[in-house]
Amino acid sequence: MDARILLVEDDPSIREVTAIGLGAAGFEVVTAADGVDGLDRFKAETFDLVLLDVMLPRLDGYEVCRQIRRTSTIPVVMLTARADTMDVVVGLEAGADDYVRKPFDLPELIARVRAALRRAGAGTSETAPVRLGPLAIDVAGRTVVRDGTDIPLTRTEFDLLLELTRHPGQVLSRDVLLDRVWGYDYLGDSRLVDVAIQRLRAKVEADPAVPELIQTVRGAGYKAAR
Amino acid sequence: MLRGVRGRLTLTIVALVVLTAIVLGVAAYVFVDTRLHDQTLRDAADQARFDLAVLAPSRLSDPPTDDEMRQLGDDFVRRGLATIIVPATGGPFGTPGPVAAAFDAIPASVRQLVDGGQIAYSWQPVGGVSSLVVGGRVLGTGPAIYFIRNTSAIDETLLQLRIGLGAAGLVLALVAVIAARVVARGVLAPVDDAARAARRIAHGDLSARVPVASNDEFGDFAEQFNEMVDTLEETIVRLEDAQTQNRRFVADVSHELRTPVAALVAEASILRDHLDSLPAESRRAGELVVHDIGRLRALVEDLMELSRFDAAGEEIRTQTVDLARLIRDTAAARHRDAVLELPEERVVIETDPRRLERILGNLLDNAREHAAGALVVVNLKAAADRVTITVADRGPGVPPDRLDRIFDRFFMADPSRRGGSGLGLAIAAEHAALLGGRLRARNRDGGGLAIELALPVTRSLPDGDGTATPDDEPQLT
Repeated sequence: MDARILLVEDDPSIREVTAIGLGAAGFEVVTAADGVDGLDRFKAETFDLVLLDVMLPRLDGYEVCRQIRRTSTIPVVMLTARADTMDVVVGLEAGADDYVRKPFDLPELIARVRAALRRAGAGTSETAPVRLGPLAIDVAGRTVVRDGTDIPLTRTEFDLLLELTRHPGQVLSRDVLLDRVWGYDYLGDSRLVDVAIQRLRAKVEADPAVPELIQTVRGAGYKAAR
Repeated sequence: MLRGVRGRLTLTIVALVVLTAIVLGVAAYVFVDTRLHDQTLRDAADQARFDLAVLAPSRLSDPPTDDEMRQLGDDFVRRGLATIIVPATGGPFGTPGPVAAAFDAIPASVRQLVDGGQIAYSWQPVGGVSSLVVGGRVLGTGPAIYFIRNTSAIDETLLQLRIGLGAAGLVLALVAVIAARVVARGVLAPVDDAARAARRIAHGDLSARVPVASNDEFGDFAEQFNEMVDTLEETIVRLEDAQTQNRRFVADVSHELRTPVAALVAEASILRDHLDSLPAESRRAGELVVHDIGRLRALVEDLMELSRFDAAGEEIRTQTVDLARLIRDTAAARHRDAVLELPEERVVIETDPRRLERILGNLLDNAREHAAGALVVVNLKAAADRVTITVADRGPGVPPDRLDRIFDRFFMADPSRRGGSGLGLAIAAEHAALLGGRLRARNRDGGGLAIELALPVTRSLPDGDGTATPDDEPQLT
């Protein structure tokens, strides 16, 4: 596989053992011990995925994620201490694609990393451009254009938009979206879906408060406009 | 109305006042009555002496003629005195009518005294009018004359006195009742204050105090009462502080443990993959390390979960949940051998599936640990307003006196068994409370423990009509 992973984690034991585990799973791991160091590494080298602890010295994980998102759509998986709303939602709003709760089993972490990488590297079989209302979605180039303007989306946001657009008018439940977009097979955190939908709407809707392209179906899930 | 101390106090005061009024009234009446009769009698006796000694001898010859007697009688009548004149010989000669008839009514003793030459009297009605009859003989030996004085004025006066006294007594009694109630209320006011304060304290308001209004026994009582409440309040505040500190300590400890435990868990993952390559003598130790790190992780995670409940920062994320499906999925993950009794029709409610899954999972873990190998049944029942999910095992059960404690933190029904953290049921109970439901435990007939989760049923409005409703947006902060 040979994917390069940047691991930013301040606790030396966790950093070391996680690096060992990921290395044993076939990844190339570069580690950083704090937020500033992590950002420097990220800028200096190229990576396929970033694993980011939330509580970091000098610059916390949310801020590191926000700064990465200014220039990159690289998959970012947060390592959060608690699965509380604040930790999870703030991380997702900072642009993270997924999160893994500490303490984690290494196989669990590796599974999440692989799922994120798989989505990032997935070349879709169907590459014909699709449209959703005023949005022109270039599946092969992974770009979205609205009224001639390029809309920057993260991988997760793009995958979510594509999944909804491919089933126009069909309601997709949060569980289905978790499965198809994030790769959870059973009861992932539906907040992932809700936060990603909100961020997506903020970018693609004319008025995010009155969404027209991506609609909520009460008690069921979301659907793209037909 | 007249119960208790207040009533007894009022009754006593009123009774005393009324008794005093009666005694004084009767005494006054008797005094006035006696004085009036004495005065009238003395006047009448003086008058009679004068008339018998001075007036009559000058008007009557001896023996008197009828004319003299009639003349004299008329003169007396003119002065307001009826008379009966009895000559030494012959019948009484007197003012006609009822007066003459009265002669027979004069007691024999009086007549004997008069015949003997003395002055005697008798109170008696004459012609239906109360009168005083005074008799005597002219110059001690002449004809006897009985003077009949109308004394109805005395009766009239006494009657008015009785009415007056009665009315005064009534007014006095009424005033006494009012005064007694006022006094009783005044005396008992501190008791009322104390009762009010005690009631507020009983309802949890520890700031309630009794006003110390006086320097007497009630003042002492109020001070003692307030001191007691001060002590109580201090103790409760201290206990609450201790509990808060205790909880903060648990939260801090579990928080601090989290990072090393996270490292241990990751390390154990690697160790577990390489147990086979360890030399035989250290392999067992390696296995135990991996196992114990798992236990440590579970304990720390349970502690952190409970700390979050204590911090009361929990949010509930409800969605439409198919209960049978959730039970099947949870049982498959946590207790494969559990027998599921699910109704044929779909049971769908609005609830937080993660919390429900946690509750059910902890109940299944509990059944697996405490009824190892025994039959475990998960039963789902739906009523109109609530659903119940029961996890029943055929294990040893719990002694009845400990049944309501199994949801306490760190409670172990059988301290010799060290299965889970001892927090699983406490966590389940907290989740159940957050979902608006509750957990109940009972011992089953024929042995074993059954824990029932009752949840209120809330259903969303019929959906699937395709209308987008922006207010369904989850609240994200």
